[in-house]
Amino acid sequence: MPARFARPEVGTDEGGLWAMMDRQETRLQRSPFAIRDAGLRDYVQEIACRLGGTHCPDIRVHLVRTPMFNATMAPNGMMQVWTGLMLRMDNEAQLAAVLGHEIGHYVERHTLDRLRDVKSRTAFAQFLGAFGLIGMVGQLATVAGAFGYSRDQERDADRIGAVLMRKAGFDVAEASRVWANLVAEVNSRPEAERAANFPLFATHPGAEERAETLAKLAAEAPGGETGREAWQAKIRPYRREWLAEEIKRGRREESITLLTRLIAGGPEQADYLAARGEVYRLRAQEKDFDAAIADFTAAVALGGETPEAHRGLAYIFRQRNQLPEARASFQRYIEAAPQAPDVAMIRSYLEELGK
Amino acid sequence: MKTLTLALSVVVLAGCAAMAKVDSGDRTVGDRLAVNIEGAWNHLQAPGLGPAQTWTREGLTVDQLLLYSGIKNGELVHAPSRSGREKDFAFRAGMLPDEIVAMYEGMLTRDGSSFKLTRLEPSPFGGLKGFRFDFVLTRKLDNVVLSGMGWGVVSKEELFAILYMAPRLVFFSRHAAQVEKIALSAKVRE
Repeated sequence: MPARFARPEVGTDEGGLWAMMDRQETRLQRSPFAIRDAGLRDYVQEIACRLGGTHCPDIRVHLVRTPMFNATMAPNGMMQVWTGLMLRMDNEAQLAAVLGHEIGHYVERHTLDRLRDVKSRTAFAQFLGAFGLIGMVGQLATVAGAFGYSRDQERDADRIGAVLMRKAGFDVAEASRVWANLVAEVNSRPEAERAANFPLFATHPGAEERAETLAKLAAEAPGGETGREAWQAKIRPYRREWLAEEIKRGRREESITLLTRLIAGGPEQADYLAARGEVYRLRAQEKDFDAAIADFTAAVALGGETPEAHRGLAYIFRQRNQLPEARASFQRYIEAAPQAPDVAMIRSYLEELGK
Repeated sequence: MKTLTLALSVVVLAGCAAMAKVDSGDRTVGDRLAVNIEGAWNHLQAPGLGPAQTWTREGLTVDQLLLYSGIKNGELVHAPSRSGREKDFAFRAGMLPDEIVAMYEGMLTRDGSSFKLTRLEPSPFGGLKGFRFDFVLTRKLDNVVLSGMGWGVVSKEELFAILYMAPRLVFFSRHAAQVEKIALSAKVRE
């Protein structure tokens, strides 16, 4: 592990890159997408610090409300973790695997390497010189970002991430599970949509290869903690919101694969069942309504279900002309969520059904 | 905002886009939707914009009025993703109002923007029994918070809809009343 980085001179390419990232960080701090819950942020920061060791004071975690799987770390120490990633993590060790990977890029200064590589390989430098040093660095960083890291850099980051996980006491086997889970999601997409990868996937070596490599690294020193209970307890207050965002992505097959895994993975299933029921209802393919009813009904039986489980049931019953059941479910929805934005619409359905 | 402006500028500078004035009076959108407008609008005409007519008062980076006329079963409600990286959203003939709103929500958040529904209620539209919805959209690109409203109805398995959105602080309130009048004037030809 290299020593902590000193702030580079402003007149250098690295200094320009840091200045640009500092501006991005200021913008991120003001962004409505930033999650300002100090409790959750500090918790993720603590995990990053366990991994980062002496670099801890330079790592600043920012949680971002975006329902895709992604985390990034900038050369100035700004780390972004998206909610779509957190929803997909089963435990602390899985989150540590991704954070450790990003810290690997940071300590190896991979972004700077990519920037210099792009600079040397393109004729943009002269043209962009017109924007001044920082402007030039910024534009090149954008180009470098478009290219992403090289496969060798990704492999390095994986290796470093595994070392950091082990040193911090996490079970490295969870790292390969992160990628295996993502492979399952991507493979569930319709053929035509397979190219549309997760942002984090786009620049990385084959996920199957990574899962295998990480499994081998884990086998070299098995054991370690997963931190499942602590993680699940910490994210519980945010889960419904993150699930609602996941549904809005409209990636029905992926969401079903994800939710099926989450349902199988733990005892607290009502939220996940209700979410999967909603995805089935919205996909509306053959037999999806049956699957949706089964999920909604199971969520209701478990108790603590979302109001939307009743609304979902009501919509399906209404479409199937099961009018008394539709009416009862709409009524339950309104009682459970009297302030919901669609209450007027639901009341109009109830009036129709009452005739 | 800079990126959006740049992208739109590229389209315009490429010579393949034009802005046409839409004068007050009765206007027809597609084959079956007619509206009456008071005051002029600008109509962006360019290839690859998708199935909606795109109108604006202040400029496309500020406000947008999208008019959908006769969207058929299976048809996308936006231009298809060029990179294939973004999810496409299509209309289905059997969609209920909440599903149509979810479809537009998906369309408007393809870039990671955030959509919050604030109202969905029955409302006449096009002379038929339709619905109205209001929303808040926070653009991922520049963190600008937009207010939005929309109307829709399905007639003969085709979707007719109007969506308007603009920054909430000044521009939305400046034009909201005019847009509501346009929506109220809409007629769908049977």
